[in-house]
Amino acid sequence: MTGARVGSALTDEQAAVRDLVREFAREEVRPGAREADAEGSFPEDVWDGLAELGLTGLTVPEAYGGSDADETTYAVVNEELAHGSLAVATALSVHCLVTSCLAEFATDTQRERWLPEMAEGRPVGAFCLSEPHAGSNPAGMSTTAEHDPDADEYVLNGEKQWITNGSRAGVAVVFAKVDPDDPDSITQFLVPADAAGFEVGPSEEKLGLRASDTTPIAFDDCRVPAANRLTEEGRGLSAALGTLTGGRIGIAAQAVGVAWAALEAATAYAEEREQFGEPLSEIQTIRHKLAEMSTDVAASRLLVREAARRAEAGEDARVAAAQAKYRASEAAMSVANEAVQIHGGYGYTVEYDVERFYRDAKVTEIYEGTTEIQKEVIARGLFDTR
Amino acid sequence: MKVLVTVKEVGEADDDFEIEGTDIASSDLEYDLNEWDDYAIEAAVQLAEAGIAEEVVAVTIGPERAEETIRMALAKGADRAVRVWDDAFEGTFADVSSKVDVFEAVVDEEEPELVLSGVQAADTAFGATGVALAERIGFDHAAVVNDLDLDADAGVANVHRELEGGIEELTEVDLPAVLTVQTGLNEPRYASLRGIRQAQRKEIAATDLADLGLTPADVESTLTLTEMYEPESDSDAELIEGDAGEAAGRLAEVLREKGVGA
Ligand SMILES: Cc1cc2nc3c(=O)[nH]c(=O)nc-3n(C[C@H](O)[C@H](O)[C@H](O)COP(=O)(O)OP(=O)(O)OC[C@H]3O[C@@H](n4cnc5c(N)ncnc54)[C@H](O)[C@@H]3O)c2cc1C
Repeated sequence: MTGARVGSALTDEQAAVRDLVREFAREEVRPGAREADAEGSFPEDVWDGLAELGLTGLTVPEAYGGSDADETTYAVVNEELAHGSLAVATALSVHCLVTSCLAEFATDTQRERWLPEMAEGRPVGAFCLSEPHAGSNPAGMSTTAEHDPDADEYVLNGEKQWITNGSRAGVAVVFAKVDPDDPDSITQFLVPADAAGFEVGPSEEKLGLRASDTTPIAFDDCRVPAANRLTEEGRGLSAALGTLTGGRIGIAAQAVGVAWAALEAATAYAEEREQFGEPLSEIQTIRHKLAEMSTDVAASRLLVREAARRAEAGEDARVAAAQAKYRASEAAMSVANEAVQIHGGYGYTVEYDVERFYRDAKVTEIYEGTTEIQKEVIARGLFDTR
Repeated sequence: MKVLVTVKEVGEADDDFEIEGTDIASSDLEYDLNEWDDYAIEAAVQLAEAGIAEEVVAVTIGPERAEETIRMALAKGADRAVRVWDDAFEGTFADVSSKVDVFEAVVDEEEPELVLSGVQAADTAFGATGVALAERIGFDHAAVVNDLDLDADAGVANVHRELEGGIEELTEVDLPAVLTVQTGLNEPRYASLRGIRQAQRKEIAATDLADLGLTPADVESTLTLTEMYEPESDSDAELIEGDAGEAAGRLAEVLREKGVGA
């Protein structure tokens, strides 16, 4: 009855979660997505809904009020939510990345302090890795966290860039070097957003994902107790590898959600729109486009499921996650592109959702490791004896 | 008190569907919890949360496939479920009285003080099961309830009933009672991830007629589906054009022609 998982099939519980989030995305997320995009404001009421469903505690251990979801459930939730709105799904996945880091690295006291509240939706988490001059190469970061032995505090200085949830967040996981001259000294810290010297900049004006706030965050002599150091000095990036791999699978799943939304919209439009006395769906060129799009979506979804399965089984999922992220984000971009094409001139206007899918899809090729970086990871898997 | 909620999995047809024999092709149906039963479940769960109901039991007549839907009721907070099915139901079109036979037997077993039932099922839309059950088991009842305030100490349910023509009846029903629930009674919640996980461990007791002390003869239906077809429909809608004055004039003309306000 529990329905053991066979191949890419879901267990009964995973299928029930999928159905739940699908309904929520259809009823509560998608209807407001266009307006949120146009206004560039995050739908906080949707976030409250996510919290009620327990999704803000997706990667919080049960002991702290979360549901400690397996990788497949995590992927399914991300796909379904992104099918409703990529901006909302991205905000949630970053929040989840932060709770994962806290669950894994924080002291019991800090977990107790933050996780139950975060599981209930607020404070929202932000993940501060990228910098103005260090994106694909985070090792090149210049933010520092110098230890002040007298106060037993770390003093953070530097600038982070492209921080999702930047203005909504109440707490951040921040990566910084404890020794400015040592590239191997990157360490992870827990920084409350109300700490003195935590300065949130203005939101970026973006091509897509416009309902999600992306801001710079500056640290100006921002002090945190030594107990807020999450990882051993110098272990900031490597310790977080597993978490980041999981995050990548989540982003890949979101890309599948966007691609699927675009495919659905294009299919419906092709049935409805008539030219030359017949619906577009009778024209072979269009039918074959849709066939290719549908195959892209299905293939991407399977790569995501396989990466999730590996991660769940405790296998090394780095290459599988990179493959899923690379393939699914390219599928999102090309399927959204063809969806606009199938809509013709109407697809180029805000009257139809496909123009938003098109703008949103692009970012999946950029954040959480660009396509080029994913290919590097995959190639390393081919040539290295790791 | 124990609350029994009757729930049904109903198939909803896609926009385009095929008819196979006397039914819509199952590939064109999407199965879901009957909308009105969702309100009934919500009402029961709210009673449990208010400390009034000690146990909420969902009961359904349905094949194994229905468990997925029933589990949603469990995920929303029902404590356990009873699923009644028997070969005798296979391929038949159950009438109200055979369903009532089954539910009567379940009520005998469960001894609830309150039975909540959707006002109707979205597929057959008989709208009769709840009230017919009340009659059979000798409970008081109120149909088409859209507001409920239960005074457990006094053993009374204060309800609003929706009547025709926008009229509401405010009435009291003595417990034990059957209430059939109308849209608007509450806002059904979404299940939560935790609820879904707990629901996987909750009991769905598979029960057949013999378990209930019934025989196939007891539930023999007086109804047979003889034909399923889509009624021919044609519309001749007139789109009224012109400015407000012209449109209103034309509308008045049409209404007069049709005999309105003559
Ligand atoms: C909307 C949005 C939200 C984001 N949210 C967050 C967040 O919450 N937290 C966070 O830390 N970051 C976040 N990011 C940052 C994101 O992860 C980076 O933008 C990304 O890693 C790329 O870095 P970059 O922009 O500096 O580009 P660069 O690293 O400058 O890359 C420019 C181009 O060069 C290519 N390139 C670079 N190095 C190589 C190489 N070795 N081989 C081949 N090609 C290469 C890249 O693929 C790219 O095409 C977000 C970004 C966006 C746009």
